[in-house]
Amino acid sequence: MTQTTPLLACRGLTKRFGPFTANAAVDLDLFAGRVHALLGENGAGKSTLMHMLSGRYRPDAGSILLQGQPVRFASPAQSLRRGIGMVHQRFLLVEPLTVAENLSLGLGRLVSAAEVRDLSQRFGVAVDPVRRVEDLSMGERQRVEILKLLARDAMVLILDEPASVLAPEEARELYALLRVLARDGRAVVFISHKLEEIGRSADEVTVLRRGRVVARGLAPASDLDPADLARLMTGGEPAPVDQSARPEPGEVVFAGTGLVGGDSRGMGFSGIDLTVRRGEIFAVVGVAGNGQEDLAAALGGVRPFAAGEITFLGQGLPAQRWGGHRRAVAYVPEDRHGRATAPDLDLTDNYLLTAACGAGFLPDFAEAGRRVRRALEAFRIAAPGPGARARQLSGGNLQKFILARELDREAPLLVAEQPTQGLDVAALAEIQAVLRRAASDRAVILFTGDPEEALALGSRVAVMYRGRLAGTLDPADPGALDRVGRLMAGLEAA
Amino acid sequence: MLADLTLVAQIAVKSSVAVLLAGLGEVLAERSGIFNLGQEGMMLAGALAGFAAGAVSGDPWLALGAAMLAGMLLAGLHALFTVGLGADQVLSGLAVALLGSGITGFLGRNWISRPGLRLGAWDVPVLAGIPVLGDIFFRQPPLAYAAYVLLPLVCWVLYRTRAGLCIRAAGENAQAADAAGAPVRLTRTLCTLTGGAFSGLAGAYLSLSYTPGWKDGMTAGQGFIAIAMVIFATWRPQRVAAGALLFGGLSALQFYFQVAGLDLAPVWVLRILPYVLTLAVLVAANVLGPLKRLARAPADLGRPFFRE
Amino acid sequence: MIRLVPRHDQGARHGPAARGGLWALALALVLALVSGAMAFSLLGADFLQAYAAMASGALGSAQARMDVLLKAGPLTLTGLAVALCCRLKHWNIGAEGQFVLGAVGAGLLGLRLLPDAGPWLLLPGCLLAGALFGALWAAVPALLRTRCGVNEILSTLLLNYVAIIFMEHLYFGPWRDPAGFGFPGTAELPAAAWLPLWPGTRLHLGLALALLCALLLWLAQERTRYGFQCRVLGQSPEAARYAGFRVDRITLVSFLFSGALAGLAGACEVLGAQHRLQDGLASGFGFDGIIVAFLARLHPLGVPAAALFLAVILVGGDQLQTALGLPGAVVRILEAALLFGVLAGDWLAGRRLVVGSREADHAG
Repeated sequence: MTQTTPLLACRGLTKRFGPFTANAAVDLDLFAGRVHALLGENGAGKSTLMHMLSGRYRPDAGSILLQGQPVRFASPAQSLRRGIGMVHQRFLLVEPLTVAENLSLGLGRLVSAAEVRDLSQRFGVAVDPVRRVEDLSMGERQRVEILKLLARDAMVLILDEPASVLAPEEARELYALLRVLARDGRAVVFISHKLEEIGRSADEVTVLRRGRVVARGLAPASDLDPADLARLMTGGEPAPVDQSARPEPGEVVFAGTGLVGGDSRGMGFSGIDLTVRRGEIFAVVGVAGNGQEDLAAALGGVRPFAAGEITFLGQGLPAQRWGGHRRAVAYVPEDRHGRATAPDLDLTDNYLLTAACGAGFLPDFAEAGRRVRRALEAFRIAAPGPGARARQLSGGNLQKFILARELDREAPLLVAEQPTQGLDVAALAEIQAVLRRAASDRAVILFTGDPEEALALGSRVAVMYRGRLAGTLDPADPGALDRVGRLMAGLEAA
Repeated sequence: MLADLTLVAQIAVKSSVAVLLAGLGEVLAERSGIFNLGQEGMMLAGALAGFAAGAVSGDPWLALGAAMLAGMLLAGLHALFTVGLGADQVLSGLAVALLGSGITGFLGRNWISRPGLRLGAWDVPVLAGIPVLGDIFFRQPPLAYAAYVLLPLVCWVLYRTRAGLCIRAAGENAQAADAAGAPVRLTRTLCTLTGGAFSGLAGAYLSLSYTPGWKDGMTAGQGFIAIAMVIFATWRPQRVAAGALLFGGLSALQFYFQVAGLDLAPVWVLRILPYVLTLAVLVAANVLGPLKRLARAPADLGRPFFRE
Repeated sequence: MIRLVPRHDQGARHGPAARGGLWALALALVLALVSGAMAFSLLGADFLQAYAAMASGALGSAQARMDVLLKAGPLTLTGLAVALCCRLKHWNIGAEGQFVLGAVGAGLLGLRLLPDAGPWLLLPGCLLAGALFGALWAAVPALLRTRCGVNEILSTLLLNYVAIIFMEHLYFGPWRDPAGFGFPGTAELPAAAWLPLWPGTRLHLGLALALLCALLLWLAQERTRYGFQCRVLGQSPEAARYAGFRVDRITLVSFLFSGALAGLAGACEVLGAQHRLQDGLASGFGFDGIIVAFLARLHPLGVPAAALFLAVILVGGDQLQTALGLPGAVVRILEAALLFGVLAGDWLAGRRLVVGSREADHAG
């Protein structure tokens, strides 16, 4: 199938945030009439690339070509005027207003309900103009966002993980709609994780890994083997795992059976059985949004379990009461800047957040300061001193500080959520080393989105998919990385 | 008996006009996201400016125009700080209230106890003849009729025009409104200025019609009552009228009890009722689930807008 | 092209505790004095003369200095009250109402319940009653906030009026002094309840109590677990929840302390200066407390200084009438200028000058 000039293309597109390179020399072609899927792990640079194409970010190098002509966009509004529209993961809709009113806002003039129905029929996008957005399902809201773009004559549609907020039935409807819209002469590109649906939903596929394109314009998508795609996403052969450094695991510290939890917002989790021993790292890996966030928070004692049984250091208790054992768990949450630390307070205050010094009423600030100083030295944290504000530390140094604090608490169980996320290579290696050392005298549960990290650090690796543990593997197994990739994509069960 | 009730109702309407005018202005401002505690100051400015302009020129239109301008100047200051600089709206509003009170106290010192323009009750031809209702609604000072017109006008603007859409969007989700291309900062500024103009009119009503003349601090807290009434009305202009009438009714009852020597309810209870009822509405709105949607404040009220 | 661009190294940039530090405060005061001068000039007065008259009016005579100190006491207490809540990002605009109820509490004990008690019982009792009533009045908006999510700006504002109207009802009605010669007000409180005076002056113990409270509040904020939790909660509610702090409890306790301070101020004003509940008791100390707290950047040790400064302005302003024939209302203009000046100063301090071409776009 030959095509002439792509409707939208980029060459050598590069974007850096400080020392971190989000996209490097990306080439991409989007053709009219085709639905293009962009795949990659968390942090592979998919969203950044799309934001550059839609005008939200300005590229540091490279060019964007609209129908073969180079263009520069200063803002999403500008790109929309040229026909490029993006539907974000978090919809930009004013909830208490009706669909018609939101469309009116987007179009800059009042549109009547009749006009909305006209548009809806013309483009084949089903929306009810008189209902308020806050009463709509996610699928309906998404359709409103799409209609907003179509009404502005957008010819390139970019969607950021559109299926992540939809139920399977709604996702099928969405893909059908995208096909229709593409057939009308538009170029459609969407970001996805759902490997098993790629064949049905897209015409061609591009895979990003660590900011670069590893496979471009693979077509037809229906002929692709999802397992191959998974391998492309995670990378080829894993580094050999050093088993000799692992100590013998000791007694069972934490054993949970039938754990259920989560709130209405997230995926939640159910039927989780996990056991961790002293001396081992139990790594849980999965794509974001499969329930790990809820599980980590529940294990950390910050949110309650709904059901299940827990045995902790030999003592049994119902999982709902786990929150009372907060003292026994060192929890390192994913958000290191806003939750694990208070950015505008100094390190001494941040130390005292979870590591108590001095009895009840009067905390011992002097002792806390001394311990912070010790931690700064022991972990080689680059900070002026205990009086420095947490905001002043870089991501890697802040993470080291948080780990130092939690390790000082001498809790038998450490729950670490995405500890190396967003860190550069050097900091990443340091944190991983700290985690390994920490495991020697406590039990560690590590949540990560990076399968390679899970296999490198974990004594046992489990994959989380749709709120359940899809499988547990031994990292020393040669086919482990492959299997992990497939389990993460939902291609295998248990 | 009927005559008494009619009289009380007439006084109630008469006493509600200032609060209604100021309340309508504040509703527009708050729906766009700006909380303006400076009502007292803007009303006082309008009262003095209107009175002085009226006394000097004898021209009611000039007086009203001056009143609106005075209110808008103070509102403009509030908009400069809250929209322009993103400053804390509570502090800026308090500063405006203080400024208005101070400037008028200062400039007004030569106007105390001086005679000026009086815009007394004016009977609407034909309509004033309607039994009972005519006496209550159509034998009022002219600004009352302005209020009757402005109320549906504000409703229409807010719910049926594009400008009103921008206002509501700016108050609920300024980021989304901005992303959709609505001019958030301009909208908030214009709404604040309009609020100032309405407050100026409210003040002029007091000094030209209700208690003619100028007295330092003559608004006597009605600016804050207007703010309370906006909350009581759950930010819907049509309900502001109800709130204003409630306040006016309570004032009329107080007056009536005094005159008739009745003691059905202690005066102080009548005086605190507007505030207590407003609090009750606030609590009910937050506690009763289904009411929550009806009675919610604009989600971005009080939050400064910065393009992210 | 020269532009003012926001600094990114600043933390909480906005609101009363903006991180401009002292440099911002100095800038703010300068701006305030300048805008005050502009206001004076626009109104036809010579601002240099006016400022001079105010300074001499406030500090020139022993009597005036005494007035300043007498005002500084209650202003310190209400300033502390507002600052306490503001650190948690909650506005306590109800200090005026809590002040009034504190006075009512003192009056209740001194006029009604224990009029014949001895000074060792009555005086501390009245002070405690004042603090208690103020605390209870602050508990209402606090509970409405934590249980029902009602915005405390609105509830404290409304309750102010309820308190003031109630107090007026009391001294116009059931507590009215029969021998009052027609002036509305209660009888004088028994002498046993009066705050002792510094010998030879009118200065009552209230100022010392206020300074003590400032010190205690500072110590509590710096050294105690409660103060630490407030610090975290105010800066980073998410971190506070992560650390397991009982957010609702901390908020409620803070409001109680805040109300107690404002109530104490009201009680001191009655027991030390006015000795009765009357017109003019609710003279705006609660609202001025907001200005004091804001000037002091919410720092407890800065509050007495800010209170003193504001007292000088208030007393000096009274003098403008006699010296220059300007009405006392001018003081309110200065207060407004102060507020605006500090708001502008904070904004400026949060920015830096950038000269040259467009900034590179920011990371989203």
